Amino acid sequence: MAQLEVDGVGVHFGGVVALDGLSFTIDKGQICALIGPNGAGKTTLFNVISRIYDATTGSVTFEGHDLLAMAPHRIVELGVGRTFQNLALVPGLSVLDNVKIGAHAKSKGGFIASTLRLPWVISEEKRLTELAMDILDRMSLAAVANHPCAGLPFGTLKRIEFARALAAAPKLLMLDEPASGLTHSEVDELGSIIQAIRDEFDLTVLLVEHHMAMVMSISEKVVVMDLGRKIAEGVPEDVRNDPLVIAAYLGASK
Amino acid sequence: MKDFLQILIVGIGDGSVYAMLGLGLVVIFRSTGVLNFAQGEIAMFSTFVVWTIHDLGVPMWLAVIGGMAGGFIIGAIIHEVAVRPVGDPHQKPLAVVIVTIGLFLGVNGAAQLIWGTVDRRFDPLFGSGSVNVAGVPIAWQKIGAMVVLGAIAFLFFVVFQKTKLGLAMRAVASNSESAGLVGIPVPRLLMLGWGFAAAVGTVAGVFTTSVLGGLGPNLMQLTLIFGFAAITLGGFDSLVGAIVGGLIVGVLTSTLPRYVEQFEKMPLAPAFILILLVLLIRPQGLFGKKDVTRV
Amino acid sequence: MTESTDSVSSSDRSPAGPSQSPADGSTARTVTRARRVHPATIVAWIVVAVVVIALPFQLQAFRVNQMSAWMTIAIAALGLNLLTGFNGQISVGHGALFGVGAYTAGLMIIKVHSPLLVAVLAAGVVCFIVGVLVGLPALRIRGLYLALVTLAVATLFPLAVEQFNSLTGGNRGLEIRTEQMSSRGFMKMLPVRLASPFEGLADDQWQYFLFLAATVICLLLTRNLIKSRVGRSLVAVRDNETAAAVSGVPVAQTKIITFGIGSALAGIGGALFAIDLGQIYPSSFTIVISIYFLVAVVVGGAASTVGPVIGAVLYGVFSDVVIPELPDRLQPARAVILGVLLIFLMLAAPGGLVGVFKSTKAKMTIRKAAKAASANAAA
Repeated sequence: MAQLEVDGVGVHFGGVVALDGLSFTIDKGQICALIGPNGAGKTTLFNVISRIYDATTGSVTFEGHDLLAMAPHRIVELGVGRTFQNLALVPGLSVLDNVKIGAHAKSKGGFIASTLRLPWVISEEKRLTELAMDILDRMSLAAVANHPCAGLPFGTLKRIEFARALAAAPKLLMLDEPASGLTHSEVDELGSIIQAIRDEFDLTVLLVEHHMAMVMSISEKVVVMDLGRKIAEGVPEDVRNDPLVIAAYLGASK
Repeated sequence: MKDFLQILIVGIGDGSVYAMLGLGLVVIFRSTGVLNFAQGEIAMFSTFVVWTIHDLGVPMWLAVIGGMAGGFIIGAIIHEVAVRPVGDPHQKPLAVVIVTIGLFLGVNGAAQLIWGTVDRRFDPLFGSGSVNVAGVPIAWQKIGAMVVLGAIAFLFFVVFQKTKLGLAMRAVASNSESAGLVGIPVPRLLMLGWGFAAAVGTVAGVFTTSVLGGLGPNLMQLTLIFGFAAITLGGFDSLVGAIVGGLIVGVLTSTLPRYVEQFEKMPLAPAFILILLVLLIRPQGLFGKKDVTRV
Repeated sequence: MTESTDSVSSSDRSPAGPSQSPADGSTARTVTRARRVHPATIVAWIVVAVVVIALPFQLQAFRVNQMSAWMTIAIAALGLNLLTGFNGQISVGHGALFGVGAYTAGLMIIKVHSPLLVAVLAAGVVCFIVGVLVGLPALRIRGLYLALVTLAVATLFPLAVEQFNSLTGGNRGLEIRTEQMSSRGFMKMLPVRLASPFEGLADDQWQYFLFLAATVICLLLTRNLIKSRVGRSLVAVRDNETAAAVSGVPVAQTKIITFGIGSALAGIGGALFAIDLGQIYPSSFTIVISIYFLVAVVVGGAASTVGPVIGAVLYGVFSDVVIPELPDRLQPARAVILGVLLIFLMLAAPGGLVGVFKSTKAKMTIRKAAKAASANAAA
């Protein structure tokens, strides 16, 4: 059974159709890329899965759970994590705290227990610190752990965003344009990082990306969207040569 | 019925004053994005300036003009010195709120230092007489408030719609960055906006003085709430809304306590409930634009 | 307020530098848990403690009572700091909740003859509930608009108290009296007093220490909250709600509970205030006191742990010690100075005193490091 099933998802904002009957599946452990020209609806789909938007029609199922019936803060508990193009970081917290916040759903300690600083809260905090530092180490960010997030270079912030998403020990990691704003060599590095992380953390990856070279080199499956619809689905080779895809990007030849 | 008509007219008259304050609030909000909690205090201060000029022997009308000019300068300076350097209200809402509150305190305190706490008086602009309309006595002062509001509204219309200056100010309110890029002196126009608002506020202060029977440092504290209720109802960025909202608030505040028992004891409740309900149900008010956020 | 001047992750749990990768491939890392507390800090705290404890014995009773009042402001300011500083919900109406706490405690003592501690705790609970109720519509009203609504609440609160004068005593005030042993030896209704059980300790001094204990407890509890997982979630909600939600923070719940807690602290402060004064009037709870809470938070340093207490004490000193020295005519100078101070702070030092302290410390650390680096380079 597929791990993620998107089935007939439609999103209508008033008269605008952002998504129209979108369906595809992802198997566990795959790296799947979602590509398409600007305005195709890729980020809209991400926002539907993260429950920032409501879908007008259709369903999204993750490991059998109906995502569309859940509140936004519950999604990460199921194991669906995501990064944002504009970075979902908290400028008022340090890098380390940002990663710890990423693990919020997988940690315990409510208002009362925290106020009273109960022993188990203290040890839970230690565990979180270890976990967060481990991930920061992995992303070569240990040096800036206590630095406030504000003021760091963009490439560093992107890695912190990654770390934040990984802190929740997701099963499915959705990456929203991870390569945007990166230099050429950083993009190459990114491709290897994504693959390594997929292997090491036992993840499934769904990424939206414009950087074709990277997409084609690391993806096992590619879904192409245009104007809210799926126009192709398959292995990179097939999709690359699909006339519909080429027409969508370059315009149809008359 | 006669009673009701009279109360209605009083409400419209009072509402005209709220609308005046509201117009100033809208100009400030549209141009700088700030909800100016000190607007009432600035208006009060300028009203004291009016009194001071009048006390020197100048006729009331001239004194009002003088006070408006004084208020204009004060408003402009305040923007330049205290508001502009703080930054964008969207980025730093708390800082902006603190600054307007600081102004609230500071201007109020300054007025008390200069003029003390004893109420001052001056004669109502339109006299204390009243006219009989269909058997209902209506104070000239109330009619005057409506007329003056009409004049101010007309002036705003002419300036904003028919002059280059008004066009430039609308451009700044719509998109200050682009306006700056085409050569409009944005900071100067923002200053003008605050100046205009203060000038109009002065008139509101003068009218409020006759309503309350005296001029003291706490003159505008309640009128401010009514002014905010007016623009909340009308839409924070709508000049038309300020006028309509002000009139409605005025009518509600004068009629509800008379005819609805629950409000008899709490004449100010309608304003507060109005603010709360509008913000919860239809935050853009009657004429405002809806706020859209991009994820 | 997007600047947090306090790194919420406790800097005492700073992990040591680079990770060591042992040759066998296992990822072991030493995380130093050592609290690197500067000896100067310890000395400073000791000095403060000594001064705070010695003061009531050096000053007259009315001064000691004033300082007790400052502490009630400090407790309320701690609550406002949680709500506005750390959680970003701007409240200009904290004074109304302070007032609710004061009147709740007062009425409980008068009508139900409740013990003082119970009255204080009850005030906290009542204000928590009221805070939660206020927090519900606050979910949909943000930033400047929330400031507007809370401003309206604060302006209307004293008027509401006047209106319900059968309950609250209206403008005549509410006299909080309990049955006490009079000096002549029989039971009489006297203004509420915390009677000292110790021989050498006067009533005002006893009250001072009780209030001090309450303040310290509230300070410690808020500090625990701030430095915890929940504290992080408050800041996350303030700075980036989407990020918070995506990480699993239940945003709405967090905001509402924070409103409740902030209000509860205001209520406790208000209850203690009522007990200190013995008689409360609506005029004590106008918009002005709401503004003064904001002053305390901002001057001390919003989103810092101890800032609100510092701010409250400074405001108290300014208001009760400095200003009364001025002639009557110049009393309004208080408002002018505070107003100018607020504006100046937002322009020059938005992080308040704590912020200034931290950035000076940081600059000195950088300067030291630079000196060390250049010394090394020269060597």
